[in-house]
Amino acid sequence: MEADIKWLDEAGVFRVGKLPAHSDHLCFLNEGEAAGGNSSFAESLNGIWQFCYSKAPKMRPADFYREDFDAEGFGTISVPSHIELEGYDHVHYMNKMYPWESLSFRRPPDVMEELPKGCGSFAEADYNPVGSYRKIFDLPKRMQGNRIILRFDGAEQAIFVWLNGKFIGYSEDTYTPAEFDITPYIRDRKNLLCVETYKWSTAAYVEDQDYFRFFGIFRNVWLIAKPRVHVEDMDVRPTLSRDGDYGTVRIGLKITGEWDGAWARICLKDPENRTVEETVRSLSPKTEIVFEKVSEIRPWTHFTPVLYKLQVQVTDAEGKVVEFAVSPVGFRRLELLEKKVLLNGQRLRICGVNRHEWNGRTGRCISREDMRRDMGVLKRNHMNAVRTSHYPNQTEWYSLCDENGIYVMAEANLESHGSWQKLGETEPSWNVPGCSSVWERVVLDRASNNYELLKNHPSILFWSLGNEAYAGTALAAMNQYYKEKNDGRLTHYEGVTRNRTYETKISDLESRMYASPKDIAAYLEENPAKPFILCEYLYGIGNSGGGMKEYMELFDRFDAFVGGFIWSFMDKALIVKDNAQGKEIIRCGGDFDDRPSDYSYCADGILFADGTEKPTMQEVRYFYEKYEA
Amino acid sequence: MKNTKLKLIFGDVSLGVQGADFHYIFSYQADGMESLCIGGKEWLYHVPRPAFWRAMTDNDRGGGFYKKSGMWLLADSFLMCRNFSLSVDGKPVTKFKAPFNNQYTGNEEAQSVTVTYVYQTLTTPETEAEIRYTVFADGRIRVEGIYHGKEGLPQLPAFGIRFVMPTPAVKYIYRGLSGETYPDRLWGGKKGEYEVEGLPVTPYLTPQDCGMHMETEWVELVRDRTMKYHVENEEEFSIRFSQDGSPFAFSCLPYTPEQMEFAHNREELPPVVRTVLTVYGGVRGIGGIDAWGSDVELPYRLYGDQDIYFSFIITHGTNKN
Repeated sequence: MEADIKWLDEAGVFRVGKLPAHSDHLCFLNEGEAAGGNSSFAESLNGIWQFCYSKAPKMRPADFYREDFDAEGFGTISVPSHIELEGYDHVHYMNKMYPWESLSFRRPPDVMEELPKGCGSFAEADYNPVGSYRKIFDLPKRMQGNRIILRFDGAEQAIFVWLNGKFIGYSEDTYTPAEFDITPYIRDRKNLLCVETYKWSTAAYVEDQDYFRFFGIFRNVWLIAKPRVHVEDMDVRPTLSRDGDYGTVRIGLKITGEWDGAWARICLKDPENRTVEETVRSLSPKTEIVFEKVSEIRPWTHFTPVLYKLQVQVTDAEGKVVEFAVSPVGFRRLELLEKKVLLNGQRLRICGVNRHEWNGRTGRCISREDMRRDMGVLKRNHMNAVRTSHYPNQTEWYSLCDENGIYVMAEANLESHGSWQKLGETEPSWNVPGCSSVWERVVLDRASNNYELLKNHPSILFWSLGNEAYAGTALAAMNQYYKEKNDGRLTHYEGVTRNRTYETKISDLESRMYASPKDIAAYLEENPAKPFILCEYLYGIGNSGGGMKEYMELFDRFDAFVGGFIWSFMDKALIVKDNAQGKEIIRCGGDFDDRPSDYSYCADGILFADGTEKPTMQEVRYFYEKYEA
Repeated sequence: MKNTKLKLIFGDVSLGVQGADFHYIFSYQADGMESLCIGGKEWLYHVPRPAFWRAMTDNDRGGGFYKKSGMWLLADSFLMCRNFSLSVDGKPVTKFKAPFNNQYTGNEEAQSVTVTYVYQTLTTPETEAEIRYTVFADGRIRVEGIYHGKEGLPQLPAFGIRFVMPTPAVKYIYRGLSGETYPDRLWGGKKGEYEVEGLPVTPYLTPQDCGMHMETEWVELVRDRTMKYHVENEEEFSIRFSQDGSPFAFSCLPYTPEQMEFAHNREELPPVVRTVLTVYGGVRGIGGIDAWGSDVELPYRLYGDQDIYFSFIITHGTNKN
């Protein structure tokens, strides 16, 4: 198949040649390697790549992927990074409005009866920047002869990929991995990987998050080797009995490669690395194992995040150990009982915070150290929960949450705020995903990318359908998707309160943002239909955080009050060197000649962009220490 | 020999009040206390004035607080003194200005003297606020702040007394709550004694009110520079503001609210050249529900039709380095 730039304008095309999403279990060569933590199956392609920036698709070097292309005129770029922070295009912050506001008149396809021809094309636009990336690499010796996967952990916003002159695939959904099987095209030496990233495509309609708008390859890029027999996916379902005495683990393995005659030793280990359960199975494409009534289970909770491990050691038909796959296991039981949310039988109190991935210097391209620093802030200040606002994070973040007992509301990559709220009013005359069957496929893909990737993390208690995307049949389908997984978690979506027609079909929780304590009490006093959660509260812009006491007292007054997530963790502002003063300063929207802008509303965290805590943190710490559970 | 009485100098434009180690001037023309000199160090750059404004926070701006209450910025910006009155040893003195002061000898003494400035507010309707200073023989000054509530006046952002001091403080030490606290954000504050180096302005991206310290027993400011000609570095010297019965709130910043109000980002703030200490008798909460319409919760509002009274004591600092 050949690449077609028209896909940028077709909402229904969002994955071409892209492998299905799967769990983020870790794969190693053997147990010894697993103990060290570095997988020889993975090779990073991060680093300096050749790069060419074009302001519009028609100006891009369209044949740059050809092996005979002369890339003399290309510059370089660091991968991963945001293209705008590497000196190309421009830095622009906006909240709800779409980023082409005042620049192009656009309407999305598949939601209006008649769309003027060419209205709002992304492929033909005079401004829709393109980043053309080229990377020449050798395949490490240890990987040669294996099936090879190319993996982008995050690339924004629509990407086309070629290897050695051949088109490999196309992907949207910025915040989940895009994997392509490059086995047929890979060489041992001098491979040419070419990636075109587009700033905008129809995906922009569902990625209208309130932040600095960037594009490019902003998370790690990997080559992944698959051994002869490989655990593609693990579906690990630990449950905890009602009395807490024992646990059960149901395991589904998806196996690819030469599974015939292969077998696996499947082992449940406790945190002290003692074997709790063990079995040996011959493998088939779908292998199922159940460890029933595992006794003396220590439950996973915020205060005692006891993590077991599931280990699958794969031996091929020749008797050689070819893979050692590992997944975390946490035994916990989440229930919605009489308008109360219970974890392991105890009332759950969410003392949470909304966190964007952010570093004041590198934007949403963040490092492991950034994540560890953020986790330190959470722990130090007694926050027990995080909402991954408003997209799936790097998978390591969820592992940190597993290890540290942080409850996660795992949000899919969906926000279409500008499509239904205009000038502060609810105005859904056109909106996405709405009730469009095409957009329903788009958002279901995003739900599935979120679920399949993260399903084994015990820290995740809630699946959040997205943020500020109104409500229609598409959101209802997302909700149903998660419910059908029947994984014991609850669904969450605030947007349904803007369109109550779907109230019974979307969200297990009554979720609101920025409701006053008085309004929350009013809801909870009148025979509420659902438990209440504040997906966002205590907006952190500037000197704020007053009145937290009034919110916290709701815990004492109402059993159905589940708590909330403070808005937000860190100012999404940028640290730059100011030319006039020659020193580093922190800037927000509007400080980059970026218009139209929503200005300092990006600086709405309880941490400054340099990571220091704002004064309001002592109040947060005080109340969250009092109520964390 | 210890001077046990105040010496009063009934000048033509001011009342001088002297003691062993202090010299205060209450001006009839400058609309306030013009000099607060302790141990030879001047503590005033402007006359202290009633404070009616604090720089709007993002929440105030987003909630449109200024739409109704913006007139308090005007009241804060322009000082209008309506009346000056005096009593010596508790007895009112009415005829002290020229030419009546010809009656004095220069040897007048007192155990205490009380000076009251009545200010009118540039608001509609207008009302009055008073600052009353009572000086005792040992140099202590009891300062009272009085706001006369009036029906029809909007909510206040704050009410206090503001001291603009000639040079930036090196540090301040206070006994009160840790961190930056406001009426609706103080439960996390721990009572204790805290030292704050320099005059930090919390680096909110848009300059706005910051650095409030609620429930303070005392605060002591330390400076090491004066504005005297030919004097560069001096030993540190200090002044103390203590509670008079009940604790007070204060902020100690390098800027007036007006300077902060009209700086749109941090780079637009002027160089640090003064100390601005405001002692508050009433502070509005900062809010937190949202930044686009909600007001602060009811218990944390300051209503314009209600009276406010507070007092505190000024003495020598105890800081000796």
